[in-house]
Amino acid sequence: MSYWPWWIGAIALSAVSLFYFLLIGRLLGVSGSWAKVVFWREQSKIESENKKFTDDSPEEINNTLLAETLAEFGEDAVAELQGMDTDTDSQPVSKTKETSWISHLVFLVSMFIGSLVYSLATGHFNLRYDLSAVHSQIFGSTTEVWLALFFGGAMVGFGTQMAGGCTSGHGLSGCARLLPASLLSTGLFVGSAVSISLLMKAFIS
Amino acid sequence: MKEHFKYAIVGLVFGAVITGIGFGDYDELFKMFTLVDARLWLTFAFSVILTMIILFLLRKRIPRQDKLIQPGTLPGSMLFGFGWAICGACPAIVFVHLGQGSVAAISTIAGIVFGVWLQRKLHAKLFRWDTGTCGV
Repeated sequence: MSYWPWWIGAIALSAVSLFYFLLIGRLLGVSGSWAKVVFWREQSKIESENKKFTDDSPEEINNTLLAETLAEFGEDAVAELQGMDTDTDSQPVSKTKETSWISHLVFLVSMFIGSLVYSLATGHFNLRYDLSAVHSQIFGSTTEVWLALFFGGAMVGFGTQMAGGCTSGHGLSGCARLLPASLLSTGLFVGSAVSISLLMKAFIS
Repeated sequence: MKEHFKYAIVGLVFGAVITGIGFGDYDELFKMFTLVDARLWLTFAFSVILTMIILFLLRKRIPRQDKLIQPGTLPGSMLFGFGWAICGACPAIVFVHLGQGSVAAISTIAGIVFGVWLQRKLHAKLFRWDTGTCGV
């Protein structure tokens, strides 16, 4: 199969990174989307709580806070608070904007559709029950391949959440900002992938 | 709805681009990781350099997103690297496997879901340090 030359791929990948930033307003990162989708129940609850909070007027929030202060610390504390001359009285309550977990799900599913459409259009589509010839040579029968993929996937899911990022979050967005954590993480995951692949190559040759 | 649409557009383009580059082809990835072929290395390295230039130009508009060196950076990154070599997928590439027709990617997706779920559960009980943010 023929793929794009490296320089076209590099331009396209960085263009996606820019496109994501311009459209979404955040830096590209996929492992965060996974966490939001897997914990969609908790995420829905947080989103509805946030919505309730932002729907309330500043006066209502202020009254609630004063009532809680009264209950917890007494009238003196309330009088002290009301007597304080601060500029914050006139500032609007900050409204947190959390991206819905459904948007993250849409993002993940769209990657599948984008790949499917491209594969069908260019003849890359190949319906199969394993991953590739080399992968099957390493792991064996279809059942073993599926098991390897499950455990490999579990390591990817666990590892990216533990490290706080993946190839896009740490590798692309983080390394491009020269963040020490991303440089370290990318060096580690690439080094680990290379070492285990060299071992697998030695195993099949 | 507008937000969903934005994510859909970026997702479609991202999926097509990864497929076109060949990151979703395990054989290509294996050639990269066994240091046989430099094409994917060059693609990744130069996309980081180009993104670096773009982000430098846009630096005043970039929101703060913490990436911390924390106790999970070393074991988490290594675990991810091992998993990536075994299943040929990072959290984005798995959808490319599926899009290219590999039904076996369903098993990888199930594994990632399990891994994410297990890490969050264990982390909440045992570790509780800040792992930083990732594009959310």
